[in-house]
Amino acid sequence: MKFCIPILLGLPLMAASEDEKLDFNQHVRPILSDKCFFCHGPDAHERKADLRLDTEKGALADLGGYAAIVPGKPEESEFYTRIINEDADALMPPEDSHKHLKPKEIALLKRWIEEGATYEEPWAYVPPKKNPLPEVQNTDWPANFIDHFVLAKLERKKLQPAPDTDPVTLIRRLHFDLTGLPPTPERVEKFVQAEDPESAWAELVDELLNSPHFGERLAIYWLDLVRFADTVGYHGDQDHNISPYRDYVIRAFNQNVPFDQFTREQLAGDLIDNGGKWQKVASGYNRLLQTSHEGGIQAKEYNAIYAADRVRNLSAVWMGATVGCAQCHDHKYDPYTLKDHYTLAAFFADVHDTGYNGNTLPTNRPPEMLFHSDVNEARLDEIKVELGSLLKPDQIKQLRKFDAGKATLTAKLKVGKDQKAKNEVAKKIEEIEKQIAGLIPTDTRKKWDDLELERQMIQKEGRFTMITEAKPPREMRVLPRGNWQDDSGEVVKPAIPEFMGTISHEGDIPTRLDLANWLTNAEDGVGGLTARVFANRFWYLYFGTGISRSLEDFGGQGVPPANARLLDNLAISFIESDWDVKKLIRLIVTSRAYRQSSVSTEELLALDPYNQLTARQSRYRLPAEILRDNALAVSGLLVLYRPDMEPARLGGDSVKPYQPVDYYKHLNFPTRTYKQHNDARQWRRGVYVHWQRMFLHPMMKATDAPSREECTAQRPRSNTPNAALVLLNDPTFVEAARAFAARVIQEGGETFDDRLDFAYRLCLSRSPDEEESQLLRNLFTQTQAEYNSNVEAAREFVSLGQSQYPGSTSPVELASWSAVTRTLLNLSETITRN
Amino acid sequence: MTPWQNHHNALQRRTFLGRSGLGLGSAALSSLLGRDLTAASGEIPKGVTHFAPKAKRVIFLCMSGGPSHLETFDYKPQLDALDGKAMPESFTKGQPIAQLQGKELKVLGHLSKFRKHGQSGQLISDFLPWTAKMADDIAVVRSMVTEQINHDPAHTFMNTGTAISGRPSMGAWTTYGLGSETEDLPGFVVLTSVGGRNPQPIASRQWSAGFLPSKYQGVEFNSTGDPVHYVRNPKGVSDIQQSSLVNAINQLDQKRNQLVHDPEIDTRIAAYEMAYRMQTSVPELVDISHEPQHVLDLYGATPGDGSYASNCLLARRLAERGTRFIHLYHRGWDHHGDLARYMDICCGLTDRPTWALLTDLKQRGLLDDTLVIWGGEFGRTPMFQGKGGPGRDHHIKGFSMWMAGGGIKSGISHGATDELGYNAVDNVVHVRDLHATMLHLLGIDHMRFSYPFQGLDMRLTGVEPARVVTELLA
Repeated sequence: MKFCIPILLGLPLMAASEDEKLDFNQHVRPILSDKCFFCHGPDAHERKADLRLDTEKGALADLGGYAAIVPGKPEESEFYTRIINEDADALMPPEDSHKHLKPKEIALLKRWIEEGATYEEPWAYVPPKKNPLPEVQNTDWPANFIDHFVLAKLERKKLQPAPDTDPVTLIRRLHFDLTGLPPTPERVEKFVQAEDPESAWAELVDELLNSPHFGERLAIYWLDLVRFADTVGYHGDQDHNISPYRDYVIRAFNQNVPFDQFTREQLAGDLIDNGGKWQKVASGYNRLLQTSHEGGIQAKEYNAIYAADRVRNLSAVWMGATVGCAQCHDHKYDPYTLKDHYTLAAFFADVHDTGYNGNTLPTNRPPEMLFHSDVNEARLDEIKVELGSLLKPDQIKQLRKFDAGKATLTAKLKVGKDQKAKNEVAKKIEEIEKQIAGLIPTDTRKKWDDLELERQMIQKEGRFTMITEAKPPREMRVLPRGNWQDDSGEVVKPAIPEFMGTISHEGDIPTRLDLANWLTNAEDGVGGLTARVFANRFWYLYFGTGISRSLEDFGGQGVPPANARLLDNLAISFIESDWDVKKLIRLIVTSRAYRQSSVSTEELLALDPYNQLTARQSRYRLPAEILRDNALAVSGLLVLYRPDMEPARLGGDSVKPYQPVDYYKHLNFPTRTYKQHNDARQWRRGVYVHWQRMFLHPMMKATDAPSREECTAQRPRSNTPNAALVLLNDPTFVEAARAFAARVIQEGGETFDDRLDFAYRLCLSRSPDEEESQLLRNLFTQTQAEYNSNVEAAREFVSLGQSQYPGSTSPVELASWSAVTRTLLNLSETITRN
Repeated sequence: MTPWQNHHNALQRRTFLGRSGLGLGSAALSSLLGRDLTAASGEIPKGVTHFAPKAKRVIFLCMSGGPSHLETFDYKPQLDALDGKAMPESFTKGQPIAQLQGKELKVLGHLSKFRKHGQSGQLISDFLPWTAKMADDIAVVRSMVTEQINHDPAHTFMNTGTAISGRPSMGAWTTYGLGSETEDLPGFVVLTSVGGRNPQPIASRQWSAGFLPSKYQGVEFNSTGDPVHYVRNPKGVSDIQQSSLVNAINQLDQKRNQLVHDPEIDTRIAAYEMAYRMQTSVPELVDISHEPQHVLDLYGATPGDGSYASNCLLARRLAERGTRFIHLYHRGWDHHGDLARYMDICCGLTDRPTWALLTDLKQRGLLDDTLVIWGGEFGRTPMFQGKGGPGRDHHIKGFSMWMAGGGIKSGISHGATDELGYNAVDNVVHVRDLHATMLHLLGIDHMRFSYPFQGLDMRLTGVEPARVVTELLA
């Protein structure tokens, strides 16, 4: 017994068809990798009988008069005779490996040998190539090249794509996908009523790609990948300074910074020529890892832990690889060696995690910089110029001296007790004032003081953020078995995994900048791989599943792409567009495939449970942050922009919504009490919510947001009573329901039916039908009756939360309507992206 | 197949967060076929075991901070002989070390007396008079080793078998493998208490489901506020109103589902039903005020005090109701200094309730199929540390734990450390061995208990060798 289903095998759609030659990467490698490579794969130390089956050379090698595999001749292949052997001692895989080949798999391996036992390079490491458009019969269906590849596959399987979905579902889908926010009833109306649906669609896509909230939506995904959080993550889990990095990510997506530049700025923002403020902020990427302030940690051990963490994240994010597995031994399934792990780690040996202080909140982990928003920074520059133009340099010098003297005296004045002495001090201050007045005209002085005050105010708005500053690299050794106490390993310099060749570099040794360039250069690097990794992830964001389902692992144990040619063409198109992210997304969402209905038949679900054929769209519960955004948006409570700044701006420090008071009781060094925000920050978007790694907000946790200790390329999608309790009872959602109810009463007309219609349009972009109206009318009436007999309970209910509700509304009416709006906010239809 | 296995086949889908109201088969089917699946939700847990289990559930009493083995179970005359003298370098050279880095290393003799107890004559220190009474009920492992010397990673290692974040806790593994026997309560519950030296922080990572589906995550019960987050109605909402609301949601969802045929909606309807049931069952469970006075007295528990004593009583109530894995943390055992004083406090708070729990379980016939494990994330150095009065630093090369109940040979000692209690030398038991043994008692072969993640068949016991400590088995 094994507690898993074979995710790689046995799915009908992955099965090889009888009339086509087997595809090694698609059909054969997954079996060999899972069942054989552990002992006969890339790891030289574990290799048994000196036989490797992951390379053609190894499989065909003369083993002394015989070979593991003899192409075309299964009966002469030792490999085949061993997998069908009836003698338990000779049988492969051996009993104690707990791995078994199924009859189907054996038959497939036999057929592969009969067909010539052709090997192919691991698919992920073969550069993508542009494939010609496949022929399709239904030439009316495709809207762009994506559809040709999708449809060709469906037609081969004698399947039809799903019909286009209805316009209401479509606009909701696109809104959630591109901005994470629901459409307003007016926008829905405009879209649904449009005379030319095609141009209305194009217009909508443009509008949402250009929305400032596009960057916020995409940032949620990126922040999962790079494990962005507000706290250090180990032991005391102190806050650390990093929120400007999130602003950078949102801004970069909104400004459509090309993905190669985006990569360079994060990995090596400090090494870029003429890099400015934002590049420095971006270099905070190298500081996002979990760190520890625990007393008694051994620096050398933690250097090793941090190095491994960075390698895991780099390889997972950009390469779709699990190089972390090579921390202790050569990778079991992919050609990454132990040494490769440490040469990759060596790229980050110039990032030093030292000099941090003890257990303060926030902690500081140098190097950090004081970050100002663009507007503030511009104003600071202006103020500097204005101040400079007010006075001559020597005046400034004198003024500063006087001011300093005055400040000291003023301080004395405050603490002094002896009235006589105080009088003397006051006199001295007066004298200084006189001297200043003699030096600088009073009106100039006033201007100066005003500007100084403004400068100080703006300075206070600055936020510290961790950045990267290259220092002389630490010595990096290969650690045998990953043991940080073992100094016997060789000293290594930065290098890419050996099987991938060498990296171009200008200086003596390759740098993080060279690494970033290598990752995003398709000719002189692995740009093809990176493009594939991200084309696959963007597909996942808009179809709910990857073309290869293993978003984080393109290696031998990953799942080969269900539509490899499509993935290749998407990757090529991404590269050819100079890594234009919005262009790639536009391509995906303007495909006909994207517009399909997500309603499926049982037969199709059985045939294609993972939606690998794209014969339909996907439906799934909204991600945690968007669940929150949706409820707040519908209620009208959502605060989209920073409340403390004019003009309206995105970004800012993390926000603290309602949370159970004792939730941080297990934290220490220092102990802390959660302080929810008691101003407009309470209702900002989920992407800004304070991310406490060790105790993530219970709402986020119950709805599958990750702790961000490690890279998360796809979140699980659970459906649990805990999540139900959140949506039912979390004050954020209860308050949203009450605000929603107040809106319904105030703006929805006078009758129950009008109001319910208004509520439905806000929440579900449609009107209720008779049955729904009846059901909710009953709920309303029943609730109202109960509150009428207990007005105090209604008062108690409506007093929840910080937001004001209209005093003119009766508590009973508001509380009763809240039962209706709570119901609406909990509906599957409300919380599902369809 | 044993009757017990049959029983479990029937219960296979009854996990706290996964039960479908539509019948067992359809829940599994909907998970497999219906969802737009991600890798992590594509599993079918099986409520079947590899062989006849000896224990049905686990109560893990985690003494968080790392109690000193040298003041509890591990008596070394030589330690007293060398008290105050330099620690021989042969022990410490090249070894990992925590807060004593760069300090002079001196031996600290025992800070308590040890006596033989029970028929078995187990050596137990005077700090643990109540534990001493159950000397014949427990199996003491005196040769534990772990790999992590700082609290946070050491806890993670003890609970998940690795220090890398993001792996499932043993409680999650257990409920994933066996499901839960209760439909109204979580299958994996965490209870915490404090008292002793400045308590070490502890992360919710310690009861995380890691890469397992999130329904296997441990649910923390709180002694203040809502016993489970958001388990109480909003203020001003009556139970009848809440019930009508949940009904309305489910009816509208059902109606919608006639149109869209989404199995996920069926699951959600069941989740809302269960959520509503929990709103009653959880507050009922945590309310111990209806326990008879003599039971409260046995534990020394006062209803609502959030103490370890109350948590032990809750553990029994959870065990009775079918919760599979009950994990108690008492945070206060990090005795770098003033060890004697803090041992008095910690033992004062935990020793008797632990005895009461075992006694109560025994009286109710529950101990036979409940595995109880006691211990910290590591032990403490034979060397002196002086933060305040004499204390000891973290130590990972040898420490003690005990096990009792379902399938454990009682009244025995297993393994030993060297003459100074530094290195485990006889019958060394690694954390992985502990995991393998625990799973074995639950009827699971650790080698065949895996979950696919990042291309690997992940196991609680990982890839390094791990063995079932058969010497401990009854």
